[in-house]
Amino acid sequence: MNEEFDVIIIGGGVVGCAIAWYLAHFDLQILLLEKELDVCSGVSKANTGIIHSRSYWTPHTLKGELHLRSLSWIEQAEKELDIEFLKTGALTMAFSRDDLEFLQTLKERGKIEGAQILAPREAHTLEPMISDKIFAAYYDPETRVASPFELNIALAESAFLNGVHFILGQEVVGFEEEKSIVGVLTENGKYLSRWVVNCAGLSSSYLAQKSGDNIPSLRPLRGEYLVLDRECRGLVHHVLYPVPVGETKGILVSPTTDGNILVGPNLEPAEDEDTSTTKEGLKEVEEGGKKLIPSLPVSQTIATFSGLRPTLPDRDFHIFFSSRFPSLLHLVGIESPGLTASFGIAEYVGDLLHKRGLKLRERSDFVIRSSFPVFRKLPWEERERLIQEDDNWGKIVCRCEEVTVAEVKHALLSSPGASTLDGLKRRVRVMMGRCQGGFCGMRLPFLMAETLGLEERRIVKSGRNSFYLGEETKEVRSGASLY
Amino acid sequence: MAAALSSWEAGAKSVFLLERNEYLGGILPQCIHPGFGLQIWGEELTGPEYAEIFIEKLNRTGVEAMTDTAALELTPERIVKAVNPQGAWEIKANSIILSMGCRERTRGMLQIPGYRPAGIFTAGLAQYLVNIAGYLPGKDIVILGSGDIGLIMARRLTLEGARVKMVVEIKNSLSGLVRNYVQCIQDFNIPLLFSHTVTEVRGKERVEAVVISEVDEEGNPLSGGEREVECDTLLLSVGLIPENELSRQAKIPLSPQTGGPWVDEDFSTDLEGFFACGNVASVFDLVDYVTLVAERAGRAAVLARPPQEKHILRAGEGVHTVIPQRIREGKDGFLFIRPQKSMKGVTVSFWEREKIFYQKKISICRPSEMIKLDLAQIPWPQEKGEIKVEIKGTEIQGIS
Repeated sequence: MNEEFDVIIIGGGVVGCAIAWYLAHFDLQILLLEKELDVCSGVSKANTGIIHSRSYWTPHTLKGELHLRSLSWIEQAEKELDIEFLKTGALTMAFSRDDLEFLQTLKERGKIEGAQILAPREAHTLEPMISDKIFAAYYDPETRVASPFELNIALAESAFLNGVHFILGQEVVGFEEEKSIVGVLTENGKYLSRWVVNCAGLSSSYLAQKSGDNIPSLRPLRGEYLVLDRECRGLVHHVLYPVPVGETKGILVSPTTDGNILVGPNLEPAEDEDTSTTKEGLKEVEEGGKKLIPSLPVSQTIATFSGLRPTLPDRDFHIFFSSRFPSLLHLVGIESPGLTASFGIAEYVGDLLHKRGLKLRERSDFVIRSSFPVFRKLPWEERERLIQEDDNWGKIVCRCEEVTVAEVKHALLSSPGASTLDGLKRRVRVMMGRCQGGFCGMRLPFLMAETLGLEERRIVKSGRNSFYLGEETKEVRSGASLY
Repeated sequence: MAAALSSWEAGAKSVFLLERNEYLGGILPQCIHPGFGLQIWGEELTGPEYAEIFIEKLNRTGVEAMTDTAALELTPERIVKAVNPQGAWEIKANSIILSMGCRERTRGMLQIPGYRPAGIFTAGLAQYLVNIAGYLPGKDIVILGSGDIGLIMARRLTLEGARVKMVVEIKNSLSGLVRNYVQCIQDFNIPLLFSHTVTEVRGKERVEAVVISEVDEEGNPLSGGEREVECDTLLLSVGLIPENELSRQAKIPLSPQTGGPWVDEDFSTDLEGFFACGNVASVFDLVDYVTLVAERAGRAAVLARPPQEKHILRAGEGVHTVIPQRIREGKDGFLFIRPQKSMKGVTVSFWEREKIFYQKKISICRPSEMIKLDLAQIPWPQEKGEIKVEIKGTEIQGIS
């Protein structure tokens, strides 16, 4: 690519994609570089997925400011991205009189209409399964639940639709001065741009150090989670927070946009990019969840995972221009509530670049994204209609989440499309249900290889070397279709 | 297929068989090993051969077999909604026979800590990949669980040139059939470690190793007993779960012991007009027994006898599950009992209140093998009520 971009964004997480989406509203040539094979592959893929309300902003911090700023974008984002956040509301549960003060603070901080402090009886009316040991609870109707994958991918798709270029699987390794512009060096190339935004999540401080800037290394704090079967749907209706003890919001229990229950996260220091789960961590998460819901059906766990918070010592966001490259902007320490704050961050980044000289001329031809139908959520008549249109709608490839061949093909062929099994999972929920790919794991690699024209053995789970299949067996298989 | 056939033979006017795969036979077509049919055909068949018998029989009936058809909704009024490439279907039936089978337990359910790389498969998925798709799941393999599919796959993968490093079993006894141990493990010199489990998965992209640990009697890992085993693949053969999502939709009462509907000797559920046979009702050890049970369900679905008072069977000491758990008459049919432990010098006792009314002596029993009794040989009490089934004996460990 010899052309020169107006803006290069490094990192395809929710923040990078939100920035791409925001800047795509203006007349700009934009390139997004992502080191993994798909967007939403790092910090953004593993978190609680909550759009925290105004009660939960942190005063006197940049993260707090951007959190509030982001909330005013919610409706526009829902409309332009054709997604819907689940307005569940939240209960913060106090277990002693001492905790009451915290509930008061939340109420005053949020000033949310309809928010109130509830007596245990009232709280139980809202959430019958919560612990009867509670002293009081703060109800806040503003908290929303998002699918972190859906939001991240919708932002990427909308950005693509509006002209943003995506290069996936290409890691940025450094920067070079090119007269008044920046040369972004990758494993196998160089891309030129007037402006560069480093929002590389866990790698952001490393890249900032590479550009000669003085920033401490990130301290990844790991959080582990349990995912419960959709059969548990209805167990909780609101996001349930404990009154926090340490530096985070604590282990919470939350419904997800797809009807599962999410429990977590705990907080523990992690080495480097260690996203493994531990026996102790999962135990801690279970106990934390049971404090809120004593009858929590942990035997219905279908998956466990962990995510990393890319934190700096002061636990705030740090957004600053490089001292050596005046048009290179670093975003370091974007941890919780990064998902909530992503729209606010995007707008703030736009403002900062604009103040230094980036021209923001609003486009008149911005295209609204429309999301692809989700078979499981369609009324019966609509299903019938779609099958008559294309019989791939009548082929169920994942029985747990009722995903059809039509949806999988769309996810593979859309842009930026899925090129890995995990990418498919995050787009259409295959392999994410209770059998965890026991059934669709037989079909997907073959459907994927055929649709994309790839060799079956090249199909990967997520990383470049995460090959799914081993060698061919001694016998030649019949020509039957494998999906 | 067996239920559809027997329904047809019992005089049903129309029978629809809904199958989500493109082919009939469920899991049988990928079970290319022998060992099927000894009980009912008196000869050893492979899975595809066993299935073929039924496919050929079905072809000679008016049973409408709809393959590639996924049943998505089921109502208590016996309406099933299904989709296939031809359309979305709504079918109302007088009787519905559930035979959805079971699924395999997963890594997520076991909550095995560590990374989430490629290379972790349930044994049945690996079996499909090898026998149908023509791919090995990997080269160096550790198998967790000594269930039958795991044992069978240990042999199959060895024959295909993979290295099965070991089978680890958390319990102190075999989960699968002894014949599978002898033919698949012993004959191929594959190490099998009892009282061991996998406590961590290592490798970020593809499995690089697993950590195995010795466990105490409760299955808790003992500290200091860990070691790393290098491998690129972890297969799980750690149990099966009856697949009853549709049954729950139809509000059919389910047994917490079997995970399937409560059934009587006709395999009629507690909800009128619904029958359940095979692994959807309770995980069976032999396909032959599944067939016997399905034939009864198929017939009963046509006869549609009115509801009546039944004996209620409870699993007592030493008993993991009993199926059926309801006895209508007890004049014909079978009772399958799965013991909790391997024992010798076994007595099976039937209690009515504080009194034993029937006992049966058996030399040996194992959790992997169901004890099959003829209902007619049991002198069922006149008055319908609760009956407790109990197994006592001397516990044995390991294989023998």
